[in-house]
Amino acid sequence: MEVEQLTGNLLQGLVLGAVYGMATMGLSLIFGVLRIVNVGHGAFIMVGAFITLWLFNAFGINPLLAIPFAFMFGMGLGLIFYYAAIRKLRNAPELATLLVTFSFGILLEEVVKFIFGSEFRGYNWIVGKVNLGVTVLPMSKMYACFGSALVALLLYLWFNKTRAGVAMRSVVQDSEGARVCGVNVGGVYAFSFALGIGLTVVSGVMLTMFIPVGINPYMGGGYTLKAFVIAVLGGLSSPYGAFFGGLIFGLIENGSYTLFALIPGVEPFAMTRFLSFAMLLIILLIKPTGLLSTK
Amino acid sequence: MKKKLIKFYPLIPVFTVYILLFFIGKNVPGMWQLVAMLLFYCALGQAFNIFLGMTGYVDFGYVAFMGVGTYGMALAITRLASIEELGIGIIVAGFALALLMSTLLSLAVGAVALRLRGAYFAIATIGVNEGLRFLIEGARIWNGSEGLIFVSDINNILGRDTADALMTFWADVMVLVIAALAAVVTLYYMRSKIGYALTALREDEDAAKVMGINVTKYKIIAFITSSCFAGLIGAASWALKTPYVFPPEVFEIQYTIEAIIIVLLGGAGTLLGPVAGGLIYGISKYYLAVYVPGFQLLIFAPIIIVIITLFPEGILGMLKNRFQNTGLAHFII
Repeated sequence: MEVEQLTGNLLQGLVLGAVYGMATMGLSLIFGVLRIVNVGHGAFIMVGAFITLWLFNAFGINPLLAIPFAFMFGMGLGLIFYYAAIRKLRNAPELATLLVTFSFGILLEEVVKFIFGSEFRGYNWIVGKVNLGVTVLPMSKMYACFGSALVALLLYLWFNKTRAGVAMRSVVQDSEGARVCGVNVGGVYAFSFALGIGLTVVSGVMLTMFIPVGINPYMGGGYTLKAFVIAVLGGLSSPYGAFFGGLIFGLIENGSYTLFALIPGVEPFAMTRFLSFAMLLIILLIKPTGLLSTK
Repeated sequence: MKKKLIKFYPLIPVFTVYILLFFIGKNVPGMWQLVAMLLFYCALGQAFNIFLGMTGYVDFGYVAFMGVGTYGMALAITRLASIEELGIGIIVAGFALALLMSTLLSLAVGAVALRLRGAYFAIATIGVNEGLRFLIEGARIWNGSEGLIFVSDINNILGRDTADALMTFWADVMVLVIAALAAVVTLYYMRSKIGYALTALREDEDAAKVMGINVTKYKIIAFITSSCFAGLIGAASWALKTPYVFPPEVFEIQYTIEAIIIVLLGGAGTLLGPVAGGLIYGISKYYLAVYVPGFQLLIFAPIIIVIITLFPEGILGMLKNRFQNTGLAHFII
């Protein structure tokens, strides 16, 4: 019985992990290209969740159709933030970009709270369930999982098959060299930042399928922490590493939940939240460049 | 002799502000609450500045040290309440425990995080407050999510009158003493080898290393000092003023945000900056809470962005430029 429950939970974890992975790709992309840590990451996920909620509740728009809208909105937001502050801070000490991205996060949270209020909200999108033998999954979660995998694949193809993608990778490797070869480095920075934010906002759309009534302006904090665990797991500067890191993290989170539930006198939910923090410190202690990186 | 004294001139404006605040609070009726809040923010800024300002590293989990300090005081009171003859000594024991616990936590976090540079350091600290909160709730340490409530313990051991005076007046005076102490330590660090090493480290860590400065040692000194002050502030301002402790409240990230705002507003790495920042932030928060309740952060978030992009040196940086080469320059640092 317990084994069956564990397999079921692990499967759920894998499905959630794909979304976690996608939710971290933007963070890794921005760090990889611009060497900037987006400390306000979770707030952008929250923005995606609110876009989905708003489109669904106000216009009855299918959450899957919210994806392109969220992506465009995220790109716009990224461009605004890039030109408003990040561009000026390219050569500033790390302290400045850390605090600025942190403030972006607070600003978004407060603006959303101003518009929507701070109570927990949710929406109800019923599209049936799928029985996988050991567990039953709502179709909406399956869509989110496959959608995330598709986004990861598209990003991979874009990086490897298009000129713009190659230009971006060249900036990651050596920005001076790329400049000499005629790459518009400033443009690549702006576009990468916008793309990273766009991806993060889209991941917020996907995540709403897992938290039916958990949408709140301050929901992002927990995801910021999780995203950092995943990003560090995957090597911090590699978007694909982040995706696989997400899968691993989903498995660990759901697996450990089942195990913590077996220990008497322990609250399993709180313990999984603690575990993600403990994992972060342990990975940073053992191998700060990431467990999945080859460096 | 004069040369020696000139070193301590910058403390004069700091102490003047604190003494003025104290007398305003004591003599103007109804002002003590605002004064207590201002003292809290000045102390918080001054404590955080020792690490953020002097090293240029950001500790996003700073509130965790305040939370642990609060727990230190709470544990001392709840566990030692049965020993009647302790009397007021229980508060001393509480501060000692708060100091011990915040030191231990800073050693544990520092051991992992301070080996890392810049961005990685910030990432390592980002979950410290959440991690501790969920550990306490999840493993049901120290009464878990139910928290500790010790109003009756304080009343029993100190007597109702003393306990009331402690909660409404003396706790704030202790915050004042902590803030003053933090100012003295900041100036001492600035004027000693530690300060020069930290300046070198903040400007260029690699160069500092090459010059033979043991950067890790000085980072740890600043980190532990700053964390200890946070623990003391938590013990005095949170545990003694409101005699209960709940994990979600004392590990709330908002206080880290406030500390960052205060230090940046005033000017990171300066002595007077956190005091100026604390006063401005405290007063504006107080009045914003009256006129537009709940939107302080909506107003302050863009302000931080503007400060960082346009005035990275804060108010003190501007004052310093203004009064350069005048007699006042000795006081502004």
